[in-house]
Amino acid sequence: MGAMGRGLYKLKPLDVMDPNEAESIHVNSLSLLEDMGIKVVSEEGLKLLKEAGADVDMKTKIAKIPSHLVMESVKKCKRPVRLCARNPKNDFVLDGKHCYICTDGTGLATLDIDSGERRPSTKRDVADSARVVDYLEKMNMYYPLVTPLDVPKHAHTLHEFDAAFNNCEKHITSGATYLKEEAKYELKMAAAVAGGEDELRRRPLVSAVTCTTSPMVLGMTTDAAIEFVRAGCPPMMMTMPLIGATSPMTVAGAVLVGNAQVLALTTVCQLAAPGSPVCYSTEPMAMDVQSGLFEGLFPAANMVRASHVQMARYYKIPIFVGGWGSCSKLPDAQAAYEKVLSAFLYYLAGTDITSGPGLLENWTVLSYEQLLIDYEIYTMMLDMLKGFPVTDESMALETIRGVGHEGHFLGKKHTLEHFREMWRPMITDGQTYQTWKASGSKSAVDNAKGKAKEILKTHQVAPLDADVKRQFAEIIKEGEEAIPH
Amino acid sequence: MSANKETILKELENAVKMLQEEAAVEAAKKVLANGISPVEAIEKGLALGIREVGEKFERKEMFVVELIYAATIMENAMKILEPEMKKSKEKRHSRGTIVLGTVAGDIHDIGKNLVRIMLEAGEFEVHDIGKDAPTESFVSKAKETSAVIVGASSLMTTTVSVQKDVVDGLRASGVKSPVLVGGAAVTEEWAKEIGAIYASDAGSAVSVVKSLIGKG
Repeated sequence: MGAMGRGLYKLKPLDVMDPNEAESIHVNSLSLLEDMGIKVVSEEGLKLLKEAGADVDMKTKIAKIPSHLVMESVKKCKRPVRLCARNPKNDFVLDGKHCYICTDGTGLATLDIDSGERRPSTKRDVADSARVVDYLEKMNMYYPLVTPLDVPKHAHTLHEFDAAFNNCEKHITSGATYLKEEAKYELKMAAAVAGGEDELRRRPLVSAVTCTTSPMVLGMTTDAAIEFVRAGCPPMMMTMPLIGATSPMTVAGAVLVGNAQVLALTTVCQLAAPGSPVCYSTEPMAMDVQSGLFEGLFPAANMVRASHVQMARYYKIPIFVGGWGSCSKLPDAQAAYEKVLSAFLYYLAGTDITSGPGLLENWTVLSYEQLLIDYEIYTMMLDMLKGFPVTDESMALETIRGVGHEGHFLGKKHTLEHFREMWRPMITDGQTYQTWKASGSKSAVDNAKGKAKEILKTHQVAPLDADVKRQFAEIIKEGEEAIPH
Repeated sequence: MSANKETILKELENAVKMLQEEAAVEAAKKVLANGISPVEAIEKGLALGIREVGEKFERKEMFVVELIYAATIMENAMKILEPEMKKSKEKRHSRGTIVLGTVAGDIHDIGKNLVRIMLEAGEFEVHDIGKDAPTESFVSKAKETSAVIVGASSLMTTTVSVQKDVVDGLRASGVKSPVLVGGAAVTEEWAKEIGAIYASDAGSAVSVVKSLIGKG
């Protein structure tokens, strides 16, 4: 199990807003939903809200949702949320006490590990990156990093599931589920792996990132979220405000709009399937005010995410935060500092999951080297986030007395008993200059490339049962016909 | 008796290999109680253990903390054997005598200690003159023991120049043995400049020493 305790030793989550400010975001979110309402493009979503007593204008599709309805829905959310996996040893629980990590998507290009060329991504890339994630012990879940451009476009998510389930025994989340039909066929594939719909409900092997639309719209992806909650599989209810464009230019304004949207989708989900598991999710982008382009990891976007983590804790709903998606074109210094500053802040703020290792160019390009570098960064973060115990044994009072003045602790039993707790590098260089030079003067990127190649060459994943594979082929064939295109 | 001896030697070896301090001390006491030669106990017991730990450390299968702990266990067992060894006047087999120390002005001796452990595991007789060791001590100890190699460690940039003093001091007194230098502040270029030989870490120190002695 890759789970590590955040605050295992009493590390307190960081509040980026004081409690009154968080309360203001909450109260104003309810007020926006009740007075201004939210536009609900999904017919089923609108119907559910109307039946539950929201003030719905069928012409404008705007639903004014009473605050009590929102708050009852928040109360109904299943807690804690359990995410299960093809191999049950990889199951994990979002209990607010642990840190987890997932890849993100959905890229369109891959930096080829052999040639270094930036080329269109393929189903093989989904399979290969899934296999790398399967290998990396502390990676908890897989989100197809890229979309295969060599399969029928309208059914790409089914091919992603096919490649993912065949190459990764961890929880799978789908990031590009927009339509009800896509959701239905994805869930059929998951049920085939789980051994039926009831079994899937008992052990949700999949989840889906379903986006709301800023400002103040629940789009067609709401239908996909409804399908998922009805199957007992959690949607990651994502808000993605573009700060200054689809939300106000201020951090607080973007936090408010995003929070209101997530509360609206929570309400629809709990009306569709009361007591179902859901996750809060956030992935805002910040504007480069000179050019008008958007960058996912500018400071303002990081602060919006950290605020949303605080709001999710306020509602006691688990949260999945999209981070790590540097705009850099290469696995370089920019990629490293953007990724560290973003993801570490969200973990300090208390997020359950962050997503995005391995991606560059705002979550659109897969780099295998970056995937290994980001994993290394994550293991370093975990080692700090777990905190440390302060006990008589850990303070080593007697050992200190025993060593006395001068001398050292290297040969002491206490050292022997604890050295395995020390973080150890996989690709980080800590050698002397001479040894480094003698072994080829390799950078972290070189080391990451070497490790990724080694994993791809050697790591094998147990194949799915022949019967499941046969069902997959049928479901994909059906889906390719039935999904609107 | 002979089966018993084999068992005790194996206990010594395993105690070092498996990092069991109490077992090592117990086995060393059994050596004395059963009249086994202390030299044999070291060479066919403890030394086999530390050699395996050293090899595993080189292959990155064991950790530096374990290596040092194993050496500490071996030292503690040796303390029990030493009085008897002195009485018997038996000598340990040695591939060569080496004088080792951290230069004057520098108190950092962990790296130097690692080199000593690895050299001892490689069957060298090491005379460790400690840390902040005066240049004259390197010279006098080298003469006294007819050392085939002298090793001088310096971690600090402010004390690397003392390594030159050690080389010059030895040469001025007619000691021609190669001088091995190492430590965080030392480079290959510096070693060449002062007429010494460079080793970047404990493992390479042993291979450098072996190649020097092979040549000699």
